[in-house]
Amino acid sequence: MTDVPAGPPVTGRLASRLGSRLDGHVPKRLAGPVDWALSWTTDPDGPLRQGRYRSPLRDERVAAVLGATLGLLFSICFVTGLWSHLQQHPQAWLSIPSRPAGLYRVSQGIHVVSGIASVPVLLAKLWTVWPRFVAFPPFRTAAQLVERIGLLPLVGGGIFMVFSGVANIDQWYPWHFSFTASHFWMAWVTMGALVAHVGAKWVITRRTLTRPSRRPVFADADPVLGASAEADAPAADGPAADAPAADLEPEGALEPVGATSSRSGLSRRGFLLTVAGASGVLTVVTVGQTLGPLRPLALLAPRDPAIGPQGYPVNRGAANAGVLDLAASPDYRLVIEGGAVPVSLTLADLLAFDAHDARLPIACVEGWSYSARWSGVRLRDLLALAGAPPGADVRIESLEPAGAYRTSTLNSGQAGDRDTLLATHLDGQPLDPDHGFPCRLIAPNRPGVLQTKWVNRVVVT
Amino acid sequence: MSDQQAPEQHGVVADGAGDVAAHSQAVGARFWVATAVGWIVIAIGLRGIVQHRIDTRPGELARFVIGGALIHDLILAPLVLLVGLAVARLVGGRLRTPVQVGAVISATVALFAYPVVRAFGLATNNPTSLPHDYATNLAIVLVAVWLAVGVSVIVTRIRRT
Repeated sequence: MTDVPAGPPVTGRLASRLGSRLDGHVPKRLAGPVDWALSWTTDPDGPLRQGRYRSPLRDERVAAVLGATLGLLFSICFVTGLWSHLQQHPQAWLSIPSRPAGLYRVSQGIHVVSGIASVPVLLAKLWTVWPRFVAFPPFRTAAQLVERIGLLPLVGGGIFMVFSGVANIDQWYPWHFSFTASHFWMAWVTMGALVAHVGAKWVITRRTLTRPSRRPVFADADPVLGASAEADAPAADGPAADAPAADLEPEGALEPVGATSSRSGLSRRGFLLTVAGASGVLTVVTVGQTLGPLRPLALLAPRDPAIGPQGYPVNRGAANAGVLDLAASPDYRLVIEGGAVPVSLTLADLLAFDAHDARLPIACVEGWSYSARWSGVRLRDLLALAGAPPGADVRIESLEPAGAYRTSTLNSGQAGDRDTLLATHLDGQPLDPDHGFPCRLIAPNRPGVLQTKWVNRVVVT
Repeated sequence: MSDQQAPEQHGVVADGAGDVAAHSQAVGARFWVATAVGWIVIAIGLRGIVQHRIDTRPGELARFVIGGALIHDLILAPLVLLVGLAVARLVGGRLRTPVQVGAVISATVALFAYPVVRAFGLATNNPTSLPHDYATNLAIVLVAVWLAVGVSVIVTRIRRT
């Protein structure tokens, strides 16, 4: 910071950011508050008009690359989110398979990783196009009006999706609505707005991404706002380094970090790399919550997959679920209903069954996961004992007196999987109350919230 | 409506006529079809929000969605603009780019980490909730970011000499 260069004078550098004639205009504009307020728009005569945003980073190419990246990340989030929703809200037309066992772990891991990686991309994209928000007049044609109305669900929705998703993995709920319902339905709103936006920007984006890089031409991006700015650009006699010609950066000439170019500061490619770097840093400091080898780097992940009772984390402990006494009671029974034979088992009965081992992941919707060795009785053996008809669906219920996830259902394929257990042991040790003592459901390819803990009823439906 | 616009037109804007033509081409069938499809999907989402209003609380949800956009547009974005100005004013020459890189990454990481540093979501009776000292961890990440920036500056200077 001490290295103040012999560049253009401070006023010149300032002006290079907001427009070189800012200092010349402001006193005049202060004459009337209305004029002054209008001057802070992109009115062709005002200091905040499009052409004033002289940073080469506010460029249609940068906007296109960021937009395409964001569109891809949001689409990944939407598809994986839809998959997660279908897991939690089973539909008659789709029987969720029980294999591959780690599928949900991967899909939800991708959902959260993509969402976190999109944080810097969204911020950068909004920064790049921000001058458009203060454009004046906001629209001139019906199409522009329609497009502009669509920006609210797009921008508001995008910010909401990313903010609510990050808050949810932090288990921070500064609102009263249901996260899952709101996040899910707002995803439709946001994706709809994205579809409309892609249609509006398709020509420009494709053209921009397929042609050699060059200096931004505002008129291309926005003829109405840009034409006046472009036409006026040569008259803006800023510092020489700010002249349009100086901004012609050759595509291949990536400036290494720390280098100076014809103009000081980030190049467009440098800016995009910085955004990628920010996404990379956020990914590296969180992805270890689900990707074992990177666990030591997961400095900012809200869960550590190796910290918790028996060495594994939980979202909801026995005390918070209100089951401590119920689970420890000698009156505990596991009841199987709906079959030909009613079955009621004590914990000792349960432990007398042939134990089956399965190495299965717990994959939380919040993006953390771990794999462990679970032991217990196969659900299908219990169903056979109760004389359940083959192909029946099963509802698993918890001792938990209340809570959105006190029950979960298994389709016949999931219930009959050889690794679907009512587990009594974790890594060879009896379950900790926080992990679901006396027994919990553990099944392949399943969200963690549906791996019901403290199970006391199995209902054949 | 065709995408095949004349690419050679870009770069020089002699008058507005060409652009108006280009624009009217862009705002063609694709625009209106995508707009229609997009708003149908938006309507699906809005219908879901209304149908599940006990869970979604549309009024509060709308405040968050609109408020998020306003907080960004009216507070965060101008703030970033001012910081950008300050960097441009205070830091020049070879240090400006690395400072910009470091500042962008640091600010993003800090914003992301803010809820865990403040432990907003800390659950009681659950030792696995927010198990780390996140203020320290954030500091470690930021130091690592600026060290990487510093190393890249030194490497670049060595290469130049």
